[in-house]
Amino acid sequence: MEGIEIALLGVALAVGLAGSGSAIGIGIVGQSAAGLISEDPDKFGQTLLLQALPGTQGIYGLLAGFLIMQSVGIIGEEIVPLTPSQGYSFLMAALPIAIAGLSSGIYQGRVLSSTINLIAKRPEEMGKGIVYAVMVETYAVFALLATILMLFGIDV
Amino acid sequence: MPIDDTIYAYSVARVKALETRLLDQGQFDRMINSSSGDEALKVLSESGYAAAVTELADIHDFEKLLAAELKDSFNIVMKISPVPDLIGMMALRYDIHNLKVLFKAKFLGIKSDLLIPVGSYDLAKLEYAVNEDDFLYFEDKLRRVAENINEDFMVNRDPQVIDLTLDRVLYEQLIFGAREKRSSFLEGLFIRQIDLINLKTLIRVKRMGLHRDFLKTVLLPHGSVSADRLTAMIEEPLESLISMLAISDYADLVNEGVREWLDKGTASLLEKLSDDYITTYLKQGKWVSFGLEPLVGYLWAKEIEIKNIRIVLVGKINKLPAEAIRERIRDVYI
Repeated sequence: MEGIEIALLGVALAVGLAGSGSAIGIGIVGQSAAGLISEDPDKFGQTLLLQALPGTQGIYGLLAGFLIMQSVGIIGEEIVPLTPSQGYSFLMAALPIAIAGLSSGIYQGRVLSSTINLIAKRPEEMGKGIVYAVMVETYAVFALLATILMLFGIDV
Repeated sequence: MPIDDTIYAYSVARVKALETRLLDQGQFDRMINSSSGDEALKVLSESGYAAAVTELADIHDFEKLLAAELKDSFNIVMKISPVPDLIGMMALRYDIHNLKVLFKAKFLGIKSDLLIPVGSYDLAKLEYAVNEDDFLYFEDKLRRVAENINEDFMVNRDPQVIDLTLDRVLYEQLIFGAREKRSSFLEGLFIRQIDLINLKTLIRVKRMGLHRDFLKTVLLPHGSVSADRLTAMIEEPLESLISMLAISDYADLVNEGVREWLDKGTASLLEKLSDDYITTYLKQGKWVSFGLEPLVGYLWAKEIEIKNIRIVLVGKINKLPAEAIRERIRDVYI
């Protein structure tokens, strides 16, 4: 494999896995939300906000993917010739957000699903439920940070 | 249990929303403190029962309202549950209840109005099966039991056998079902129910002055307190019975409920404490986000609510003092 292909595998993992985490997370919250709405349609606005939260992991993954694509010239004038070693560096850099994006998306979805159960009884406590979900978010942010720091450190 | 527990997400959220419509302690207090049955009904009409109460022509028909409510609750939980079989196990008790009622009515040659329209078998079909001795469409095990009951009654004419045999098959099915589905939560529930029934049987047999051989034949298997341990207790005086059970989970229940039963001759406190005991157990699963627990809890909560409404309305219609009604009211699930 040439360097560019290895770097693109990194893009695929970052966008694909982090996106899957978000998709699964949002899916779980959506099921809970539907259950609540079928008895209490007035809470649609609140549930929509909660359902959107696990979407961030996918955005982080996409951001990491864009940064790599820009560095290697997939987006832009011409493709930068990469050595396999440089290619692997991009792949490694993509891994944190790929892995943490997948798991944190799913678990954030589970927390928010419980938050839906919470607001079924106490809609005024939604803020606290969001705080719990943000705790999970922290680790997606850390992963994105590690990914970005690594990307900026790679010489091309 | 399924591997992907998130299949419960929809049903649990929906049940949480339904729970908010359960009557709370405050509403029951207002019903108890109301001046008459009609006033109590008025409190009920401000709750989720509003539509049903307005359709109620006569307060004495309230059983119809309660039966319809119970049926609706089972239907809705059955419909939203991702594993309806497990909820079906909760309904099996009503099939067995209806069978008991029908068999007794048939053998005594009367028509009973104690049937409850809940359960997996259609009432009309059950009625037909019992009256025509045609149990073909019953599930295997139940069919054999039903046929045995029929034959036994022809020979022995003992209606007690009906209760015994059917209870035995019910709890056997439930325990094996829970094990097969690997639901330790349900198994725990059924074991506790068996224990409580056995405890009541023990006291009843003791009060009747019957022998331990008889007790052995009427105790249900699969409880946490073994039948052997229970039969050994029958000849003990009350105090040592209490101390023997004090190490089990049922210490408080025995201490208060059984004592009152033996002292005053009324089992109503023990019945209340037994229901509260099950409520406490089910409350442990109340906040499970992905699982069967809140669904089972909701059904139980509904059963308790209906029981409480019945206690209040019967008490009000018969002009019982508020305190006497309050004593019998079960703890609410929410």
